[in-house]
Amino acid sequence: MSNVNETAVELRGIRKCFSGIVANDRIDLEVGKGEVLALLGENGAGKTTLMRILYGMYRADEGDILIDGKPVTIDSPYDAMNLGIGMIHQHFTLVPVHTVVENVMLGLDGPYDPERVAEEIKALGKRYGLEVDPYATVRLLPVGMQQRVEILKALIRKARILIMDEPTAVLTPQETDRLFDFIREFRAGGNSVIFITHKLNEVMSIADRITVLRAGRTVGSIPKLEASETTLARMMVGRDLELTTGHPAKNVGDVVLDVDNISVVSSRGNRVIDGLSFQIRQGEILGIAGVSGNGQEELAEVLCGLKKAEEGDIRISGKSIVNCDPLTIIAEGVGYIPSDRQKEGLVLDMTVAENLVLKGSSDAEFTRGCFLDMTTIEENADRQVHEFSIKTPSVSTKAKALSGGNQQKVVVAREIAIASKLLVAVQPTRGLDLGATDYVHRVLLRERDKGKAVLLISTELSEIMNLSDRIGVIYRGSLLKVFTRENADIGEIGLLMTGIRGESNE
Amino acid sequence: MSKRSDQSIWLALTPLYSVILGLVASGLMMLLLKQNPIEAFALLFRYAFRDIYNIADIFAKATPLILTGLAFGFAFRATLFNIGAQGQFYMGAIAAVVVALRLGFLPAILLLPLCLISSVVMGAAWGSIVGICKSKFNANEFLISMMSNYVAIAIMNFLVRGPLKEAKGEYPQTDVIPEAAWIHSLIPGTRFHWGFIVALAAALLAYVILWRTSLGFKIRVVGMNRSAARYAGIDEKKIFVIVFAISAGFAGLAGFMEVNGIQHMVVQGFNPMLGSEGIGIAILGNAHPLGIVLSGLLFGALKVGGNLLTQTTTIPSSIIGIMEGFVMLFVVLSYFVQNKVILAQRKKSLAKGEDVA
Repeated sequence: MSNVNETAVELRGIRKCFSGIVANDRIDLEVGKGEVLALLGENGAGKTTLMRILYGMYRADEGDILIDGKPVTIDSPYDAMNLGIGMIHQHFTLVPVHTVVENVMLGLDGPYDPERVAEEIKALGKRYGLEVDPYATVRLLPVGMQQRVEILKALIRKARILIMDEPTAVLTPQETDRLFDFIREFRAGGNSVIFITHKLNEVMSIADRITVLRAGRTVGSIPKLEASETTLARMMVGRDLELTTGHPAKNVGDVVLDVDNISVVSSRGNRVIDGLSFQIRQGEILGIAGVSGNGQEELAEVLCGLKKAEEGDIRISGKSIVNCDPLTIIAEGVGYIPSDRQKEGLVLDMTVAENLVLKGSSDAEFTRGCFLDMTTIEENADRQVHEFSIKTPSVSTKAKALSGGNQQKVVVAREIAIASKLLVAVQPTRGLDLGATDYVHRVLLRERDKGKAVLLISTELSEIMNLSDRIGVIYRGSLLKVFTRENADIGEIGLLMTGIRGESNE
Repeated sequence: MSKRSDQSIWLALTPLYSVILGLVASGLMMLLLKQNPIEAFALLFRYAFRDIYNIADIFAKATPLILTGLAFGFAFRATLFNIGAQGQFYMGAIAAVVVALRLGFLPAILLLPLCLISSVVMGAAWGSIVGICKSKFNANEFLISMMSNYVAIAIMNFLVRGPLKEAKGEYPQTDVIPEAAWIHSLIPGTRFHWGFIVALAAALLAYVILWRTSLGFKIRVVGMNRSAARYAGIDEKKIFVIVFAISAGFAGLAGFMEVNGIQHMVVQGFNPMLGSEGIGIAILGNAHPLGIVLSGLLFGALKVGGNLLTQTTTIPSSIIGIMEGFVMLFVVLSYFVQNKVILAQRKKSLAKGEDVA
């Protein structure tokens, strides 16, 4: 990697505007042959946009793309593939009901013999440690395997430059290690990898060079040997940031939430929650770790009355609320920060003030008879905006005009006002920058210290490890094990996330 | 800052441009008919405002249009499509005529409110069937409400040829309702009746419900983000039924206006375009009650002037329909253009490095 002198990809002065934002502002970037470049930046820094331009999904407003030193125009992913560029998207682009072979053949030029392609898949799999059964149906493969199929798709088209958009977001620690082995192997053959991430530890373990983006601009590009996590964090955020880590709970009180052997059956007839039980006490954060899609969403929804439980019981301070409607559960003091603020948590075309009373439009506090009490609604908004330092021009600004972090603050403010007993937070920091993430973390800890019970469901293991007093691992709708903070072992948690139970005491 | 508010004033005027473009386009159609469009429009304008009778007629024509406009516009705020205003209008008209004929012995002070209430209730009941189909069976409200028109027309046809047929038994129409059930003129000698004031009150009511009550808040949440509504514990199925009942109530009220205010009877298949014109008016008025009132008046004026124009010249009467059609077409196009303009402006100000909040 030290003998990198030939460039594989060069981007010069790339600029791209979307409605309302400059996503990329004259970005320069260079990747050498046999080099792994980490493209680091907070969410919304413009990493994905830049890579989509390189892959022909977007067209740049300005700027040039050079491949092997020659200027090229890339109008579509098809052009990109012909130039040897492959991209592994954050959300896979596979046909779930088709087999691996069929997925790989899709988009290959000319008639292909499935058996020959299957042989090729096996050969490539063996060479790079990406073994996968060519005739397996993609839908039935675990997420890590599906990602392998995506990579194989690119390799079979002779990709020399591989773009990976946050590939580790859906992986367990063990799967991540295997992915990194592949990347090293791939690089050794003189190929290039652009690795998009916002996780500093990954950068340090895999990258040769790091380019940092902030707010659509290149902040700098440095070799890994000169970088440290602190310098990178500073480059990303633009200032020093002390990240909050949880301190142990002090006053753990009575049981607030008692989930007793509940099961949820999905509309397709699958048992998405299967005999799950746990308790949370006052002043305690229970973190639920797991690879996404193992019943986390369903667990939150059944707690908040949005899904029906087939069997089992849920009690809030001893009172059964299982299968009650959402309003009853809200009235019991259960707040819920949903994973998708734009889809569920907010009405983007409504004002900040209206969004802050989204769940309270029938409450006596905000109404007079059947009329809305505009004065109290605005007073409430003024108070919340001040208390949670929500940056907004006014309370009558539409929610869609706010930044992601401030939108999330609106949701958090509203839910905390509701959550007198229990706060359910699902991916509460998804898509937020470091500053906003830290703010949400501090708020969660503060609420815990006030004596509320907090259920934190997240696929970010570091978030779970930092904040939780106890950590449960969910796999296929069951809690495999609950650790106390002191006994939590990241290795064992990682294995449990993939469904492998340790030999240890149960 | 002031520059931006200037721009938004220009953008707010887009419905006006659409109207002008619509008139220009229909003027071109007149050229094809070898008519002088400028002369025709001058004549149309002069006719519409020729005398107090014609000016009053604009308001009389606008009255049912505003109500069917509200019937579409109100439901549209919940992102529901009520295409059934025509049928709801007929059901309201039938209810009003039945009450007026059967209870004709009552004094006006009782009879008129009874007719009004029964037309609203009948329209609402008819429309809520659509809402119930949507919430119980997840039926497509667009199709169900559209087809409910044909059912309503069939019911009307049966009634005016059978049980409600006039005593003379000549035409498919009802008897004339007793004078006690007529809505009084606001200006004697014209057709401008109290119903217009009621229509304004209905528009105000629509506004108050949508933006000042907790029901309206829920309706708007359901309209703008169904998942968020579910998450906030709002029962969208209940909202579907309520919204269709209220919307259809407006259309039913239009039936009362036409029967008790203008026709004084029900004639088979009368005012057959009222429902679809209401859709255009709601779109032109951006589904806002005030916009609906204004565009209802505009369409009323086009009708009054256009009718006289086609009666006194050789211009065919279909030109009114063409004018209305072009105006609606340009309004729909204008939303697309408006979005493009806003986008381009934002990009431009970004390029200059201004902050876009």
